Amino acid sequence: MNNIKFLGKMIVENLKTQGMPFPTDPRVCTGWAKDLPRKSDTIIFTSCMYQIEPIVPTLSKFLPSAEKLKSLMPLSRLLKPTQQQIQRSYRILNNIVLSLKQSGINVGYLYEEEPYSGALLLELGLLDEFSDWAKHVASLFREKGIRKVITVDPHTHNALTRYGEFTQFEVEVISYLELVTPKKVEGEYVVHDSCLYSRFLGLREKYRSLIERSGIKTIEDPMITGKDTSACCGGPLAPVDREVSEKIASNRTRDLEKLGNKLLVLCPICYVTLSPHFSGEVLDLAEVIL
Amino acid sequence: MSWDQAVERAMKNSIPRVYSILEEHPYLSDLAKRLRDKKKEVINNLEEYVEKTLESVKKNGGTGYLASTPEEVREIVYKIVGSGKRVILGKSMVAYECGVRKFLQEKGNEVWETDLGEFLIQLRDDPPSHIIAPAIHLTKEQVGDLLEGKLGGVDKNSTHEELVSKVRDFLREKFVTANIGITGANAVAADTGSIVLVENEGNIRFTTVSPSIHIAITGVDKILPTLEYALIEAMVQAAYGSLYPPTYINVTSGPSSTGDIENKRVRPAHGPKEFHLILVDNGRFKASKEPILRDTLLCIRCGRCHFHCPIYRALGSKWGDPPYSGPMGAMWSYVLNGDGKPALLCAHSGGCKEVCPMGINIPKVLEYIKWKSLKNGNR
Repeated sequence: MNNIKFLGKMIVENLKTQGMPFPTDPRVCTGWAKDLPRKSDTIIFTSCMYQIEPIVPTLSKFLPSAEKLKSLMPLSRLLKPTQQQIQRSYRILNNIVLSLKQSGINVGYLYEEEPYSGALLLELGLLDEFSDWAKHVASLFREKGIRKVITVDPHTHNALTRYGEFTQFEVEVISYLELVTPKKVEGEYVVHDSCLYSRFLGLREKYRSLIERSGIKTIEDPMITGKDTSACCGGPLAPVDREVSEKIASNRTRDLEKLGNKLLVLCPICYVTLSPHFSGEVLDLAEVIL
Repeated sequence: MSWDQAVERAMKNSIPRVYSILEEHPYLSDLAKRLRDKKKEVINNLEEYVEKTLESVKKNGGTGYLASTPEEVREIVYKIVGSGKRVILGKSMVAYECGVRKFLQEKGNEVWETDLGEFLIQLRDDPPSHIIAPAIHLTKEQVGDLLEGKLGGVDKNSTHEELVSKVRDFLREKFVTANIGITGANAVAADTGSIVLVENEGNIRFTTVSPSIHIAITGVDKILPTLEYALIEAMVQAAYGSLYPPTYINVTSGPSSTGDIENKRVRPAHGPKEFHLILVDNGRFKASKEPILRDTLLCIRCGRCHFHCPIYRALGSKWGDPPYSGPMGAMWSYVLNGDGKPALLCAHSGGCKEVCPMGINIPKVLEYIKWKSLKNGNR
């Protein structure tokens, strides 16, 4: 198991200096958006999750030696997703924005000023640090006159919906899943539910109904895809213990592969965690139904 | 066969069976809700209920104790048991928590676990791999090999029935000749001082009746206001633990008694002459005062959360401080030992909270433990 206290300290330092939990090229985070207004009371909030998540598995490999390699941490800025990974994440985000537009919702975007949600601090149990960060983000939103935030991933959504426990936060937080209309799609998919959407945020019926309305046929097994049996991908444990995280991913994939070879996920962490293990095709919901 | 296969088989057997039990007997979910309310009431007034329970035990002719630490538990047990005795244990996780079996052995007693799973792991000196199925990590073949080496007469090719029969033959004589029987308690009724034990093998019934001294060791969290709720606890625990109806529910209220001569209640009769109830604190009182963490004490230890947790599936008994593993074990490891490390491995998968009969938001409790533990200097 990694040293979580040290990891927390490192994350907080990076948040203070870079605005992200680890040094990241801001152009990778913002490159997907070209003509979204900077000023709007309704924004899309990416927290750079889709864009940067592909490099997390590589970073996780170094975490056990993080204390020794601390001085090399700034180099992680040089670590970038591949062009293919970047293009895929940009396509997902643009699909979401376009679909919101089609539903009559125009969003702004904070570009390089977009803060990180603090999800990692929350999930590691670093609640004091999360509380400080929530206050910082809440104040930024107030300053910018933001009243509504549209999230695109479950971890960010979860973090923002928890802000109210730590600070005054009157911003409406809503997932894109509650606002978009699916296009017609054919095919059979296995759904790997997001733990947070499904069991913590009350969105399971929402996205499952989107999938159904799109025409996709889902392959179900109550022992694998039921609400209380569909297990975590293992990704959230990668910063804590990579070996356990990988074992969980391998177990989960083994189950899912029994059902089919096309896997639908709803979270960038699930995507990067399960993809190396899953022998078939893994796609994000926003790539398929929007 | 690996742990992966063993746990997958257990999940495949257990999960659908609980679904069917709950569907077939819909009153069980209602009982679970009622039980949660009563358990909360006790946790909110723990000192008062402990006192009431000890008084009720005394009224029944038994002796009640409140032990603060495992050391105190062992001291009390030693005063009752002494040395050179034959002791049978009827599966008490709290006795394991307090190191009772090994302690009594060190003091020159012959000690036998009588629950089949516990007996097997005693022979192997393994920690329990699940709260109600302690030998879940062993296959039939491994059990055959183990018994062949330890008892003889069976091997890896023996059937399940032959293996069980071998242990039955071996333990039968121990049941009859033991001086002392030690059990846990699934529930304790404050109003009557009764303990309730739920089981399937019959070993607990033997252990509570055959020896002349019965000692029950359990946590203060097991107290319920009345015998009605103590019995409900046994039913709910059995159902969510996937074996319903249970073969036996045992109620013990003091030493054995009879009213057969002029209807005067006289103790002892044919069963134990002495009944001792040791209520264990070991961090439970402290936890009962902490918001969020106190919900740990609602746990009835049915072990259902284990089978809906990917971390348990990956790590088995390596996750948590023995005898407690799985999501509930990550909570109990902190309450009892101040060990926050197991909680750090929670990935908030959330299946545990969906299936917990007591509605414990286990990931929320574990988040709190992570925070407390990191704040207090743990990694």
